[in-house]
Amino acid sequence: MSEDARSTEKSESSGLDPHEDARALVRLIQCAQCSRPYRTPVTLPCGRSLCRECLPQTHERENISYPDLPGRKQGYQCPYVECQDEHPVSDCSIDVTLTKVMDSIAEIVAKHASTVRGTLTFTEEVAHDEAISMSTEKPPTRQTYGGRLMATYLLAAQGQLAYNADLLYQSISDQVESERGLDNKLVKELLETTHREVDCQVCYNLMLDPVTTTCGHTLCRKCLARVLDHSFHCPVCRRGLAVPTSLQNQPSNKTLVDLLNGLCPDAVAARVQAVSLEDQPGEGELDTPLFVCTSAFPGQPTFLRIFEPRYRLMLRRCLLGNREFGMLMYNRYHEPQGELGTVPFYQYGTMLQVLHCQTLPDGQSLIESRGVYRFRVKSHGLLDGYTVGSVERFEDVSLAEEERLEAEETSQPPPADETDMHAVISRMPTQDLLALGREFVYRMQARSASWLAQRVLDTYGQPPEDAALFPYWFASVLPIADEEKYKLMGTTTVRERLKITASWIRRIESQRW
Amino acid sequence: MTAPLPKRIIKETERLQSEPVPGISAQPHDDNARYFDVMVEGPGGSCYEGGIFNLELFLPDDYPMCPPRIRFLTRIYHPNIDRLGRICLDVLKNNWSPALQIRTILLSIQALLGAPNPEDPLNEAVAKQWKENQPEAIRTAREWTKLYAQKK
Repeated sequence: MSEDARSTEKSESSGLDPHEDARALVRLIQCAQCSRPYRTPVTLPCGRSLCRECLPQTHERENISYPDLPGRKQGYQCPYVECQDEHPVSDCSIDVTLTKVMDSIAEIVAKHASTVRGTLTFTEEVAHDEAISMSTEKPPTRQTYGGRLMATYLLAAQGQLAYNADLLYQSISDQVESERGLDNKLVKELLETTHREVDCQVCYNLMLDPVTTTCGHTLCRKCLARVLDHSFHCPVCRRGLAVPTSLQNQPSNKTLVDLLNGLCPDAVAARVQAVSLEDQPGEGELDTPLFVCTSAFPGQPTFLRIFEPRYRLMLRRCLLGNREFGMLMYNRYHEPQGELGTVPFYQYGTMLQVLHCQTLPDGQSLIESRGVYRFRVKSHGLLDGYTVGSVERFEDVSLAEEERLEAEETSQPPPADETDMHAVISRMPTQDLLALGREFVYRMQARSASWLAQRVLDTYGQPPEDAALFPYWFASVLPIADEEKYKLMGTTTVRERLKITASWIRRIESQRW
Repeated sequence: MTAPLPKRIIKETERLQSEPVPGISAQPHDDNARYFDVMVEGPGGSCYEGGIFNLELFLPDDYPMCPPRIRFLTRIYHPNIDRLGRICLDVLKNNWSPALQIRTILLSIQALLGAPNPEDPLNEAVAKQWKENQPEAIRTAREWTKLYAQKK
């Protein structure tokens, strides 16, 4: 156990030696299901990869109504014992980067295979499972041309090297140097041919903490997060990323992380350092301007008139920078805010991006902004009169968790008391909760409710079809207290937000009829 | 106040020099590495053939999250390019993606010269002529190319 832990630690900090660690290196690119080097690998939402051919049978998924997309109706049971989750078919795409890397490896091996007749490597398999090695006779010694790395790869490619099996190499003394030379040459060539594949297409640097989208494209985690601030489409193929992915919960591409750490640990370390330097001025400091004023929601417009001098300064500084500031609600009833204690604002807010700003002759400004994401204030202070803080993004749980919750709640036995509003709402499918909201809006529109006047719809748009956004839209237009709307801010699932909007609707209906 | 130039812009600039695209060049200014002088040759077989068009290209602060800003400096008779040289091209607006780059954008502009689209016009007058009397419009475009888009 401790031995194991030490060896993984070693591989992360100092990398793998092409000659000494040949077996471990080849294992990084072996499919754990079929033990062959990955053939057209697919990377699953859990970050693990397997050959496309090794994907298990699909099955119909049950009790899930949201998101309502054809590819999510079918799922795979993850064959990895560490995971075993259900992965929707549409989230399991061919991993473009890993496929190209595997192609390069195959080409390099093929190129050298014909020129290495002079070097022989003798290998002997050591079964991991002791029972097997005790019962069977001594495993055969195999002779393969090429250095250790090539020999090991070829064994795996021929299906003769189990994923968990180890190898004993018998070196012939006068060949050690030529073997070592060949192993190093293969890795060097691999790094040269693949360096463009393992560069992120957004920052053009070596991928740092690579994350693979459901469409199979890989970017640095930080780059993907920035891309998602602007658009919910894959930057490479423009496929919709369906739902605002919660990157915090998205696992890294395990194979690529291990390969990069194993083959070029120095380059990875340099990237980590460069990125931490870039982030330095912000990290841990009160770097986010905060405006304690009103309720604002992600994806929704907020219009503001900025007239106080301290906020004029804040706005000017904000426009020089990334044009974003945090909007917080005033804590008028002095409610305690978690670890912040009793502060003049509520701890969850929405980051607003200034879209248009018009400064009037008297110095006031009219701004149009749009909510980008939710955040939580970690600490706060004052700068030239306005509030500044250190904030962290606050996001929904993963889609898998979202689906698990829905399945769990909707499969409860029916409530004992049919009039118990909360019990009824919490058993409704997510899609029905959305339909409830949208139907309420259309019914109110038909009755010419004043809060749904044309100018309101012109500003906020028609009710969104996306269940993740509907509650924010609804809260933006519904004339109820801001403190009530604030309940949406601390939610971590789409479902939770829709249950809140459904409870508002039920209460409004019970008061009027 | 000025932030260091992102690695991405440095690499793109290097690659534009080391692996140039035929018929296209982009040269950054010495005093502003985000501002490029661009030259695009009219594509062969089009009414802009033989023309050399100058453009200016600027990479805003949030590039590559936002598209580069590009404008023709050379006058051109084209339904999707207006009198100020502004270009109506989807990848410069809503269809921008951070995975695109200066190289691909300039290729798109060159392709736009080869395939004018009067159905999505920026210059109404030119587009109208293009739809009503295409031979005449193409003749004008050729003339303008000879008049304005020659190597100085």
